[in-house]
Amino acid sequence: MTNPKSNYTPGAKPYSLRIGWLYPDLMNTYGDRGNVIVLQKRCQWRGIKTEIKEIGIGTSDKDFLSCDLLLMGGAQDTQQEVVAKDLKDKKKTFKAMVENGIPGLYICGGFQYLGEYYKTANGNKLPQLGILNMYTQNPGRERLIGNIAIDAKNLFGKTTILIGFENHGGRTILGKGIKPLGKVLKGFGSNDSAKEEGAIYKNSIGTYFHGPVLPKNPLLADYLIKTALELKYGKKFELEKLDDSLEEKARKVIAKRLSVAI
Amino acid sequence: MNIVLIVLGKLISFISKSLNLGNGSTWPGHIALSLNKNFVSDILKNSNTKIVFITGTNGKTTTAKLIETILEKNGKSVFLNKSGANLLNGIASSLIIESDIFGKIKKNFAIFEIDENALTRVSQKIKPDYLIALNLFRDQLDRYGEINTILNNWAEVYVKIIDKTKFILNADDPQIAYLGMQPSIKRLYFGLNNSSLKTDLPQDAADSILCPKCSTRLVIDPVYYSHLGNWSCPKCGLKRPQLDSEKNSVYPLEGVYNMYNVLAAVLLAKEIGISQTNIDKSLLDFKPAFGRQEEITIKDKKVKFFLAKNPTSFNESLRTINALGAKYLLLALNDRIPDGRDVSWIWDVDFEIFIGPKIEIFAAGDRAYDMGLRLKYSCIKHKTFEDLNEAVKESLINLPRGETLFVLPTYSAMLEVRKILTGKKIL
Repeated sequence: MTNPKSNYTPGAKPYSLRIGWLYPDLMNTYGDRGNVIVLQKRCQWRGIKTEIKEIGIGTSDKDFLSCDLLLMGGAQDTQQEVVAKDLKDKKKTFKAMVENGIPGLYICGGFQYLGEYYKTANGNKLPQLGILNMYTQNPGRERLIGNIAIDAKNLFGKTTILIGFENHGGRTILGKGIKPLGKVLKGFGSNDSAKEEGAIYKNSIGTYFHGPVLPKNPLLADYLIKTALELKYGKKFELEKLDDSLEEKARKVIAKRLSVAI
Repeated sequence: MNIVLIVLGKLISFISKSLNLGNGSTWPGHIALSLNKNFVSDILKNSNTKIVFITGTNGKTTTAKLIETILEKNGKSVFLNKSGANLLNGIASSLIIESDIFGKIKKNFAIFEIDENALTRVSQKIKPDYLIALNLFRDQLDRYGEINTILNNWAEVYVKIIDKTKFILNADDPQIAYLGMQPSIKRLYFGLNNSSLKTDLPQDAADSILCPKCSTRLVIDPVYYSHLGNWSCPKCGLKRPQLDSEKNSVYPLEGVYNMYNVLAAVLLAKEIGISQTNIDKSLLDFKPAFGRQEEITIKDKKVKFFLAKNPTSFNESLRTINALGAKYLLLALNDRIPDGRDVSWIWDVDFEIFIGPKIEIFAAGDRAYDMGLRLKYSCIKHKTFEDLNEAVKESLINLPRGETLFVLPTYSAMLEVRKILTGKKIL
């Protein structure tokens, strides 16, 4: 096991991660950049260098492929159409990265994009990237809005509560080979009838959690960092513990409101 | 029928006010509308009152107050819907209060702030003489939905009222300017044309960055704030329209964002026939609306409010108080219905850019720790308080004499802090 900071000797090259942020100007509606800031700081505080690589219209495949960790947020409809056009060219590369286990966090619109199609309220099937075996449909019923808590045991191997805020009209249905990120304890989830939230495929994580998700769920942030380091350097890492007492207080406020024990 | 509704409404309003029930500004209207859904148009048909609508994400209350000041100082009688009562029931309530029992309104002008999402519904009942559209930013996505949804609704409004209404539009907001580019629309444009006011900071919370016609990425140069500026489309050639008004000699409030509010108000006043000299004279007497750069003095200390309810207003408030040399800040973040229940937006605020190392910050409100986290991840030292009362008290104790505490609250937090300071409710 390697602790990135204690292992660091002067003169040695520090560990580093290149974080690919997909379409930051077009897909950043709900404070999604908070996730980028949190990853960056939690690396920085441990002596891990980070570089944010913006993946946008015109980014080359080579630059895209050089990323160790991917992030994609939600977008408004018009922006989403523009992104959809551009992503057609990048689809092959994107899929290869997901299949190779590049860790990624995909929020709301970004999450839906990875699926096969999005069925609108009036029955139109809009094809999506088709990287993950899942689809989203908007039944035209009320949007699912509010604070949410889930148990993300599927990701962490033991009961781990994630807390956030959801706001979505689409319901995402997972196919074979895809696990939900967690079981809904309070709130709706990405598929309210199954009481499930989000998706896990290899090291890609999809979720409807806003808030944004990482500031109040530092365990998830560290999971992404650790996985990215291990894949890049081909060895096990143990991340240095950080003081997360403020995070814990912020989590407790919402957990208490939802009557969920954390 | 309407006479009964008016008398009943006036009675309810009186009782709820005397008992301090707090719903006096929407309740009578709600009841009147449920008994006669055409109540509002019935009353307005009876009167010669000219109607002004003000809509947009930020600046409605301030613009309404500016117009009220200019018109009243120039001999016109005016009434407004109460701040926060900006849906149809709030407007109906204001009509009940203003009309005599025969349903006649004697005032010259009605100035209505209209919630950007309620514009469609209100316009089905009232065709305004003037409609001012200030701006559209992301705001309370849990309640309002996305900007595109609002714009689609607005497009419907235009068709319904285009024969009567004169539009006063912000040319610097691409989507709003575009709505005014339809044939046979009567409209005037305001905007800024002064590159010394531009910002070179990245505007990460900007929303309308795509061409409203062809969805190409717009060029905006200069940018005044967020996506407001001199915009043009490199592909289809669509660009900001000619401005009818771009400056004024008197600006009674700080901040570039308030210049837009002043330009809108002045353009309307001129259109009504008030001279520039008289407009400027009246603006010198302007007193801010509550919470909007409002100042409260407590012994030898000052408290100044900058309502900060979405990323754009928060950023612009920070930019403005920075220019004023602010050293002591109280950030109060609530997540109640009027604030928006989703606080994700604080991550779109540029604390990293605006908060220097010498500024002392206290964070409070229902979501004090979320604000705390936002500051922590910007590496900004701060103190968090679970109890707003305590935060206000501590902030004032901590404040040296002669100094100003700058309070940046969300809407309901603003009402609370104000109540703590003045010991009384305002709504």
